Order: sequence, then structure tokens, then C-alpha cells
Amino acid sequence: MTPSRRRRAMLPALAILGLTLSACGLSGAETPAADTAESDQPAEVTGKITFSTLQLKPTFTEYIEGVIEDFETEHPGTEIEWIDIPFEGAQEKIATDAAAGTLPDVINLNPNFAQPLEAEGLFLDLDQEVPELRDAYVPGAWDAFQVPEQEGSFGFPWYLTSEVTMYNQAMFEDAGLDPETPPATFDELYAAAEQITEKSDGKIWGMHPALENRFLLDLAKEGVPLLSEDGTEWVFNTPEAVAHVERLTAAYQDGVFPPDSLTEDHSKETEAYQAGRVALFPSGPNFLTIVEENAPDIAEVTGVGAQITGASDAANMSVMGLLVPRSTENKATALKFAEFMTNAENQLAFSQIVTIFPSVTEALADPYFTDDSDGTVESQARKLSAEQLENGRNLLPVQYDDRVKAAVIGKVQLAMKGELSAQEALDQAVAEANSITGM
Amino acid sequence: MNRRLRLAPWLFLAPALVVAVVFHVWPFLNTVVLSFTDASALGGGSFVGGENYVRLAQDPHFWLATRNTVLYVAVVVPLLVLLPLLLAVLVQPQIRGIGFFRSVFYSPVVASMVVVGLIWTWMLASDGIVNQVLEAARIIDAPLPFLTDSTLLLVSCMLVTVWKGLGYYMVVYLAALGNVSSEYHEAAQVDGANAARRFWSVTVPGVRPTMFLVGLLSAIAAMKVFAEVYVMSYGTAGPGGEARTLVYTIREVGLGLGGQIGYASAMSLALFVLTIGFSAGYLRAQRAEAR
Repeated sequence: MTPSRRRRAMLPALAILGLTLSACGLSGAETPAADTAESDQPAEVTGKITFSTLQLKPTFTEYIEGVIEDFETEHPGTEIEWIDIPFEGAQEKIATDAAAGTLPDVINLNPNFAQPLEAEGLFLDLDQEVPELRDAYVPGAWDAFQVPEQEGSFGFPWYLTSEVTMYNQAMFEDAGLDPETPPATFDELYAAAEQITEKSDGKIWGMHPALENRFLLDLAKEGVPLLSEDGTEWVFNTPEAVAHVERLTAAYQDGVFPPDSLTEDHSKETEAYQAGRVALFPSGPNFLTIVEENAPDIAEVTGVGAQITGASDAANMSVMGLLVPRSTENKATALKFAEFMTNAENQLAFSQIVTIFPSVTEALADPYFTDDSDGTVESQARKLSAEQLENGRNLLPVQYDDRVKAAVIGKVQLAMKGELSAQEALDQAVAEANSITGM
Repeated sequence: MNRRLRLAPWLFLAPALVVAVVFHVWPFLNTVVLSFTDASALGGGSFVGGENYVRLAQDPHFWLATRNTVLYVAVVVPLLVLLPLLLAVLVQPQIRGIGFFRSVFYSPVVASMVVVGLIWTWMLASDGIVNQVLEAARIIDAPLPFLTDSTLLLVSCMLVTVWKGLGYYMVVYLAALGNVSSEYHEAAQVDGANAARRFWSVTVPGVRPTMFLVGLLSAIAAMKVFAEVYVMSYGTAGPGGEARTLVYTIREVGLGLGGQIGYASAMSLALFVLTIGFSAGYLRAQRAEAR
């Protein structure tokens, strides 16, 4: 082939390569915040919508399908298509759907998952769409779907949980502690944990730190400001936080925590409690059921106390919500369905199947949550949790995503191993967290 | 040659080409383009020139991950070249019951890496069987922190990679050993060579091309190590993330709703260059030796 013929032969190949490059990467994303024109929207509650949940199948299939059926009966002409997304990989699926503009009409998210999408303006502002509903929900739960520095609230709060302090009463007794008096402050918690480890000659660990779940939450409960007042900077490297990390370090090095607990997650904490290796287990009351199923002998000696709130006196609650994307083609039905799914009656029914709590104040006032006269540990936990929820808040800032968490916990792990001082660890954690979140 | 005949090979190739373009060439080109953007998980991003690469050069996590990945290759590859060969030599003779041992050695290959990782995590825990045995044998006084010391964690992951890969490469070597004529062994034996001498002077030269192949395949696999580190550290890459590898870091940066796809793409290309560079150097060394 002569050079000129070779050049001519290469032209189509180059053209294809050029087209390929221009077609990929930069031009692939949809404008996420595209509003569907109001005129295209059916004004009445009718037509088909999609509804996605986070890992509720198959355990709650019957309940969810029942609510959907009730809604369709109450609103003839509506059809709800239910999709369940496994927790693993959910963020990737949601991100792909958001970029493609194909989010379901009603989507189940927690505040941390929702925040990056809310910040992009993807969801309807419920303060504008259904302002009359705000007062029906637990205030802290409604506020959980707000974005710092941005107007509006974007999610119908759905089910809630609020940690309680579970503890092994037999181990308390063996260590000379009062089995009927659970620790009420962080000082009492760590003192009890230390005493149990000491009295058992190190055979029992007082507590598991479950850093990924609890570290930043505990700082917030201790009254440490996590973010600056304007919410633009992480600032949790305060003397109180240093004292907290030093306490964790001492507990780890004294054998109060399991040696492998530095990197272990909450599931290993649950395993250790169920195996009778750990005495204190601050966790959601739903774990009582899990302990009862897997370790009935441990469940039998499990007592329960209120969530330890520290200097801030603020109880944390975890929130799940239902959000309606602005791209929905059936806003009226989507909003009505989200409201229906989260109403008092349906949430009360849901919380009687599994140990979760309704986000509607009316449902929380039901005797199911206020009466513990049967004396069971479950009803005590329910009552304690429900009381906490009234003034509970989602204490974890929505900016605390997986990467920030990994950076912060990583530095705390190094401090607990003795490779960094508490101050160094927190300074580095704050710097890294700020660099990740672009603050 | 008429037009129809000229097109015929392309028609036969078409299905494979379509798959290659859609699932390999296109994503690769997409990654190249994205690496020059500030794309996030939620949007296409805009062109930022070489900013991601400048950031990469200054990112201590990237360099730590690169160091760990190179270290991983340096330790794992020699072991995966030699140990499966020794194992293949052991299980090569056609004696009664040898099939059982071949199957046992091969079985880790078919097990899921996540399951293997979990089992080893239990075994290497502070109160796991490995520490119990070492303590019972009085080799150590206190449990070794296999899972909470970054160096030990990385070494543990390397051992798991080697353990899981042994059977696969053993089978590759078994095929190669079948091509080494037994006459060479007999001649060496007549000349008075013992088993070790025959291994180094007859077996190894006989399977040398396969050793290069195993070296290359295991190196490429080791560069992509992820599951071992992820599972055995409960997703943390050890205290402070100090046992991180390149793929672990790419995942950490790129996944999730806050994922920085542009930066993760730049990191992926760095891994690509590392892998291609290593492979090219390795192949050149092989050719030089063959001459």
C-alpha cells in the first residue's frame, strides 16, 4: 500500500475513533435536575408509578404488597410497580439511574444516600409540595432530609430506629455491678466495661468499639461540634474529642475491647455479644430479636437501658425516608403514595412486624410504644426508643459518607494502636475529611 | 478475490469483535476520556486537562497503594511460579489415589474468594486456630495481630492469594510436565543425578516457557488484587487503610454517590500503565533469554 493510500485507509478508522471518543465520557450524562413539565402531569391520583425500597424483599414482601394493594384499592386507576434494591451496590444503581434520569417515582433512601442527590436538586421539596404534612412527623426525622445551606426538606420520613444500651446482666453481676442499673453516661459505660474485663481476668471484653458505627456519633453525643457553624468545614479536633480518643486508646490497649476490633464492623460486635464474649452492646433495639434468634441464652440475661447521650443530651436516631424525584411523570400519585406508605396506620402495622419505629407522632403515641407493663425486655426497649425519638435527631452529618468515614476511622485506628497521638489523629482526620468533601 | 470473499473473515469475526468493542475497547476509551474530566457518579463532568494526574502524583494514598501492589507482585509471583511446579511434580506420577490429592489441591480454585477470605479471617484472628497452634507450640507468647497490623495483614493476604492460586497453576504445570520427555530424566539418572538435580536441570528447563506464562498471568492477577484485602480487613484495608492496594483505592475513590469517577479513571489508567509496563518488560526478558 502506498503512503497516500494508507493515509486514506486510516481516515475512516480515525473518524470512528474520534466519534467514539466524543460519544463517551463527557457527553454521557443526563441533566439530572430536569423537571417534568407540570402540564404533562396528571393532576389526579391515577396511573402507574414505580416505587423502590432498600433490601426489604423477601422479609417484608407481604407487608409492602399489602400496603400497595390497599393504596390501589383506595385510588382506583393507580398501579404501583415495586422494585427492591439490595443494599450492596445500591449507591451505584441509584447513581446510574440518577445520571440517566430514570429514578423511580418514589424512592427509599437514608439521609446520607439522599444528600448528594438532594444537593443536585433532584427531589421535590416537600416543604413546598405538602407543607401541611410536616407537623405530622417527628421533627428531627423531617429535618433529616435537609441539605446544609439549601432551602427545603426532601423526604417523607419512613421508619426510624434509635439505639439503646443492651448489656449482659449475668456478666454485670459477676463483676460486682448492679444488673438492674445500666450505665447512663459515657463515664459509667467505660467504667463498667473496664470493671467487667478486669474481674473476668480478660476473658470477657467489656465492650466492642464498632468504630465505623459509633465513633463520630459518640463525639456528637459528647457535645463535640462536628462541622463549623456554617456547615462548611469539619472541626471535630477539639480537646473533648482528644479526650474521647484517648479513652478509646486506653480501653483498647488495656484489653477492654477485643484485639481484632480495630477494623471489625458492627456485625462482628453482634457476633461477639451473642457469643457471650462482650458484655455491653449499644445498638438498635431490633438486634434484640437477632440475639434472641441466634443466642437465646444470652437474650435471657440481656437487660436494656436508654441510649447514652453524653454532654449534648441529644439522642441519635437513624432515619429511612421516601423521596419523590422532580423527574417523576406522575407527581400527584407519587406524593400521595409516599404519604400513604408513611401514614400512622401503615407505619404502626410495619413496626409491629419488626422492631422499627414510626416517624409519625400519632403512631408513636400508640400503647404499643408506651406500655412496657408486660415486663419483657422488648417492650422496655420499645418504650425507651420511642421516648428518645420524640426529641431525637440524626446526629450524623449528611456529608459523612463512606470515604470520609474511612479516612476518619483510619486515623482513629492508628491512634488506638499507638502509632499516632490522639491530637495528631484527629488533626489528620479533620484535614483529610475536609479535603475529601472539598471543604 | 471477490468482494464477498474479502468480507467473509470479518463476518466470522464480527460477533467476537462486537463483544470486544462493547465490553473492552469502549469502556477503556471511556476511562481515558473520563480521566481528563472531573466527572462524578452523578454527572459527565467537564474537561480539566491533566489535573487528575497532577493530583495523583501528589496523593500519598495512591503511592502507598502502588507500593503495596508492587510489593504484592514481588512476593506472590515467585511463590506462584515455584510452589505449583513443586506440587505438580509431586502429584504427576500416576499412582493409585493421586487423583484425590490433585482434586484437593485444586479445590481452593473453585471456591469463592469471599468465602476463602472469610475462612482465613477466622483462622488468622487473634483467637483463631493459627495463633492457637503457634502459641501451643510455644513459637509465640502472645497472639500475632495478623488482621490489625498492616504489614502482617498484607502478608496474610499474599499467603491467601498463593494458597488459592496453587491448584490452578499446578494444573497448568501438569500439562507442561507431560511434554518433558521421560528419556531426559532416565539419562540424567544414569549419569547419577539425584532428584533435586534432575528437578533443576531437567524439569525446570523443560517447563521454562510455562514458568514465564505462569509468572505473567499471576503478576497480572496480583496487580488487580482486591477481594483478599477487602474481606480480610472488613473493608478497611487495615488500620489507617495502610494495606491498601491500587484496585482497593480505585474502588474507594470511584464508588458511591460521592464517587469521583474522573479521578478514579486516572488511577485506573495508572494501574493499566503499570500492568502493561510490567508485562512488556517481562516479555522482553523472556525473549532475551530465549535467544
